[in-house]
Amino acid sequence: MSSDFFAPEIETASRERIRAIQLEKLKNQVAWAYDRVPWYKARFQERGLKPADIQSLADIARLPFTDKQVLRDTYPYGLCAIPLDDVLRLHSSSGTTGKPIVIGFNQHDLDIWSDCVARMVAMVGVTRADRVQMAFGYGMFTGGFGLHYGCEKLGCMMVPAGSGNTERHLMMIEDYKTTVLISTPSYALHMCEVGEACGFDWQASSLRVGLFGGEPCTPGLKREIESRMHIVCTDNYGLTELSGPGVGGECLHSREHNHIAEDQFLWEIIDPRTGEPLPEGSEGELVLSTLDRQAFPMLRYRTHDLTAITTEPCACGRTHARMTKVRARTDDMLIVRGTNIFPTQVEDVLSVIQGVTPHYRIVIDNETGLDRMTVMVELKPEAISDSFEEMDRFRHHVVDRLRQTLLVTPVVKLIEPNGIERSFGKSKHVEDRRSKL
Amino acid sequence: MAVAQISVFAENQPGHLGRILVALETAGINVHGFLAADTGDCGIIRFIVDKPDLGLAVLREAGFAVTRTDVLCVRLPDKPGELARVMGILAAANINVGYSYSLISTLIAIHVDDIAATEAVLRHQPIDLVSQDNMIW
Repeated sequence: MSSDFFAPEIETASRERIRAIQLEKLKNQVAWAYDRVPWYKARFQERGLKPADIQSLADIARLPFTDKQVLRDTYPYGLCAIPLDDVLRLHSSSGTTGKPIVIGFNQHDLDIWSDCVARMVAMVGVTRADRVQMAFGYGMFTGGFGLHYGCEKLGCMMVPAGSGNTERHLMMIEDYKTTVLISTPSYALHMCEVGEACGFDWQASSLRVGLFGGEPCTPGLKREIESRMHIVCTDNYGLTELSGPGVGGECLHSREHNHIAEDQFLWEIIDPRTGEPLPEGSEGELVLSTLDRQAFPMLRYRTHDLTAITTEPCACGRTHARMTKVRARTDDMLIVRGTNIFPTQVEDVLSVIQGVTPHYRIVIDNETGLDRMTVMVELKPEAISDSFEEMDRFRHHVVDRLRQTLLVTPVVKLIEPNGIERSFGKSKHVEDRRSKL
Repeated sequence: MAVAQISVFAENQPGHLGRILVALETAGINVHGFLAADTGDCGIIRFIVDKPDLGLAVLREAGFAVTRTDVLCVRLPDKPGELARVMGILAAANINVGYSYSLISTLIAIHVDDIAATEAVLRHQPIDLVSQDNMIW
């Protein structure tokens, strides 16, 4: 067995064994939620269901869905299944509208969480010999503490620098010889830029792995950071409602997928329009249930993330199912002149055009009555020409490439280098100015 | 004999030209001439300055997107028909002028595809071609 397994027995269990573990835990989790959370009990009763009705994994489809709205409606403690005295920590996600989403943990939940994170981090070859530099903010965000304790559980040396102060981060890499960087991909890119400007030698630096999260990380962005920082860039899957990072992560043999920690999370893929389950391998919306959560059990949580799942064996030896990296969310989808568009499509197109940076912004308006999509594209310094014609030809080239993928003709504005605002949290890529009348 | 021109890629927004000029002024760079045309949302503003290498470095340092291009520069007597005479010579040699603008005094900057060939054409005419070093008035 290779050394990159944190929990080899469970990570390589047979599919039959995984399913047996899941069924046993699901029954307990359903009963736990029913007995302790009035909201769940009421939903079960509306459907005439008792926990004892759950006799197979497929029976989960009889349960009602949960989603962000349920957490908002029951904010802050309505879904908590244990006395508040037993809750050790709260985390929340920044709500874009209204109240945040809040989740609590007791000791049992925190142990499981750090266990899942330790597994996920070990999957990309991080070991106890690594020195991990944290560039996520700590605070309410699950990413900071989640990865911190997971890495500590694995035995890594943690450098809890937190977010911001890029020069200090560069100094820490140099002085403490850190080997792993945890940050948002856009902050890593910012570190590249600052480092390059002050002559930091990325090739000679001790950093070897990047664990990125907090915002989408496209393959193009990964390639860009890999080539500039000379590290292996990885990302993983998690969401606050299900505990944060640790739900799934990529292994070095299957970089386009995340192994889901199936002994802790039961997955389903549904048709986002009808809510009906889809067969394995179909692309659809990911629905997750916790299997062993005491403080905030979540049953059938609709993630709004679009993915497809396979249980085919992986070359790494892990038997846990793999989901394709989430490249789109059902609620990110923009409808422009009747055509479905995902911002990630724009990102993919830009990642293969020479002369533009990965930074962009999309503005949609309908001032003239028709939907108009404007994509602001940032130029690299070497793409600047003295010829207006040449610049205009380049602009048309970008328009053509976008049109071929999006099937909608966008307006493209070329923005000077560094002209698009960098964000260190979730990048604000889209602004929808359409009047809703 | 070409003269260096600094081209700055700039969004069409209030204050942008001003910021470029302040950056040049702060470095003690004198602008001999410039061209800013209405080229839509974003455009190229071109400058001829007394210290082009320093100008490029200063603007790059300040975060502007800049590139260096060569242009020809001629000094014309300030009297009727002189500009027509130069353009006539270029037209007769089948040389297309990409853009052209006047600097301080009656210096005229001319951008063409083939600087050397155009220079050769003008050199055989009674025209005062100006080099970077003798742009002194």
